[in-house]
Amino acid sequence: MIELENVSFAYVGEKPCVRGVNLKAAEGECVVLIGRSGNGKTTLTRLINGLAPYYYEGTLGGTVRLGGTDLAVMPQWERAKRVGCVFQDPKSQFFSGELTGEVAFACENLGFSVREIRTRTDGMIRAMGLGGLRGTPLDRLSSGEKQKVAIASVRAAGPRIFTFDEPTANLDEESADQLSETLGALKRKGHTLVVAEHRLSWLMEIADRFLYVDDGRIVREFSPRELRALSAGEAAQLGLRRPHETKPPLLPGADYRHGAAVAVRQACCALKGKTIFRDVEFSAFPGEVVAVTGRNGKGKTTLAKILCGLRRESGGSVLFSGEKIPPRKRRERVFYSANDTNTQFFTPSVEEEVLLLLPRREENLERARETLRQLGLFEHRTRHPATLSGGQKQRLSLACAVLSGREILIFDEPTSGLDGGNMKIISGVLGQQAGDGKTVLVITHDPELMEACCTHRFSIGGE
Amino acid sequence: MGKQDAGFAAPVRLCVFAATLLGVFLTGGTERTWIIAAMLFLILMAQKAWKQCAGFAVFYGILSLLLYLIRFHGLRMAVFSEFHVFLFWWMTPVFMAAWNLVSTPPGELSAFFARVHAPTGAILGMLVIFRFFPTMRAELRGLRESMHNRGLTGPAQVLRHPGNTFEYILVPMLLRCLQISDQLAVSAAARGIDTPGPRHSYYERKLRARDILAAALYAGGILAFLLTGGIK
Repeated sequence: MIELENVSFAYVGEKPCVRGVNLKAAEGECVVLIGRSGNGKTTLTRLINGLAPYYYEGTLGGTVRLGGTDLAVMPQWERAKRVGCVFQDPKSQFFSGELTGEVAFACENLGFSVREIRTRTDGMIRAMGLGGLRGTPLDRLSSGEKQKVAIASVRAAGPRIFTFDEPTANLDEESADQLSETLGALKRKGHTLVVAEHRLSWLMEIADRFLYVDDGRIVREFSPRELRALSAGEAAQLGLRRPHETKPPLLPGADYRHGAAVAVRQACCALKGKTIFRDVEFSAFPGEVVAVTGRNGKGKTTLAKILCGLRRESGGSVLFSGEKIPPRKRRERVFYSANDTNTQFFTPSVEEEVLLLLPRREENLERARETLRQLGLFEHRTRHPATLSGGQKQRLSLACAVLSGREILIFDEPTSGLDGGNMKIISGVLGQQAGDGKTVLVITHDPELMEACCTHRFSIGGE
Repeated sequence: MGKQDAGFAAPVRLCVFAATLLGVFLTGGTERTWIIAAMLFLILMAQKAWKQCAGFAVFYGILSLLLYLIRFHGLRMAVFSEFHVFLFWWMTPVFMAAWNLVSTPPGELSAFFARVHAPTGAILGMLVIFRFFPTMRAELRGLRESMHNRGLTGPAQVLRHPGNTFEYILVPMLLRCLQISDQLAVSAAARGIDTPGPRHSYYERKLRARDILAAALYAGGILAFLLTGGIK
């Protein structure tokens, strides 16, 4: 079904990022590409779906075949018919504001008749259990629902092959499990699946092979059993997340405690008449790293925005060292590092970004240098933040928080889409900040991160 | 009739948009453009777009009131100039017609353009532009929140460094524009946007009597508006 023969690829003006790859995937097979960030996994998926080099220009060597046909002689629309692509951030691939238009989009493009479009679209909405979302604007859906819509929209066109690029980066455990079921169903129907992913546990029951990609080459192949048998040390050495399902650690609850650095009492929030959460109570003291957990859509990000003054609570109280502070004053104490790093940076270089609004004193410059070194960004200090990879942007956001000097730091999913190595770096910095007397809140679905650095846990909306 | 069925077909919305542009920009009596706004409120109501209708009514009502106070009671604006009030009041019919067009399901619009043999590149460009604005709106919200969070929106900061503030908004926005356009184009290419041949739409339908009637009445209304009010 998919055949890559001695394939190499280099983006225009860059060094080769895929080198001499040989890969075969049969019908009904699920192949997972694993390995550290920036080693060519995404490019491999782009080579299979034809986006590289036909959209992302570059030099291709070797041959990519789909069903025995050389991709080079196939027009892009023909490739689109055969390969469905699901990207990391579903919202960036939506073309319609509502479910039906989005699911129908590929069928409309591919020239199906009106009757065929309607049959496929309605059938897919039913099959994916999305009927209840027909009237809901897509931008109001949870991350898990958006990912399901993205899958439905490519599945409706009936491709035999699917490529997924970090599909669970923004999903909670339950949504990842649902995605696992969806992929399992596709596999049972004989579809070929190629998944580039860091989170591994949700794929253990579906994947046939795990291919470890390093420096653009497939250097090792693991069966699910072999991957499970890796010791924690070996997995860490390879920069991998844990392959077996990791339960979140049992941590003390972060219940309301008087006099905490930040304490929330009976807080509730409603937006546009819809209750986001109610009766939320928790607290955090300096030196603690509190994991804020809960399913997608339960209001974790909204709570963080209330704490840092970007939103106002609808009821209850938010206390800082026992004192009520109006939202606009909260920003002086709280730094919020959002999950979406695309709109967080304002200057033309990494070093200017971390020094933004800081007096250029030697002590600040030294702290900035030290933080950048610790986060592996020092060699990138002259680059524009927009040119960094996703993982590097996450680390830059963390550096900005650390250097902001504010006493309460909130991080929203700082390890989503990151490999094991980057997760370790981030957990180390969070722990260190708490050790320095900061109060750290981290919104996360990542049990490995919780285990590595969190001291307390607060679950919004129950488990 | 459901809300989806109540919406006019893509050609009608295009006709309304084109006629609105002609009416607003060619009229010799700009103070009479309230007639076009009134016609557009009827168009929105006929499509059961109640929420948008209410939103535009409030917006237009406030601008009309301000304009009245400026003209007849010598009101002076502290933040915006009188010219801005007039500009937004005058352009409101264009905003309404543009919203009406942008809210067309993209598949229906692309199917219409394919039927009239528009080049694929033009269809792709149109689809990207239509999706671009809602996406950018969400990005702007994110940018504003980030600026608040980083302390870049305090009055002292803005007044002391207005040039920097402008740069903090403009540069990330331009970069995001490029990234979003790129992501949307990739998404479209991966879903067969360049397929040759005829295209159809889930929402495709033949022009109904009410569509033809609405287009004819609106175009006729604009023509009458121009003829009675004079053309520049």
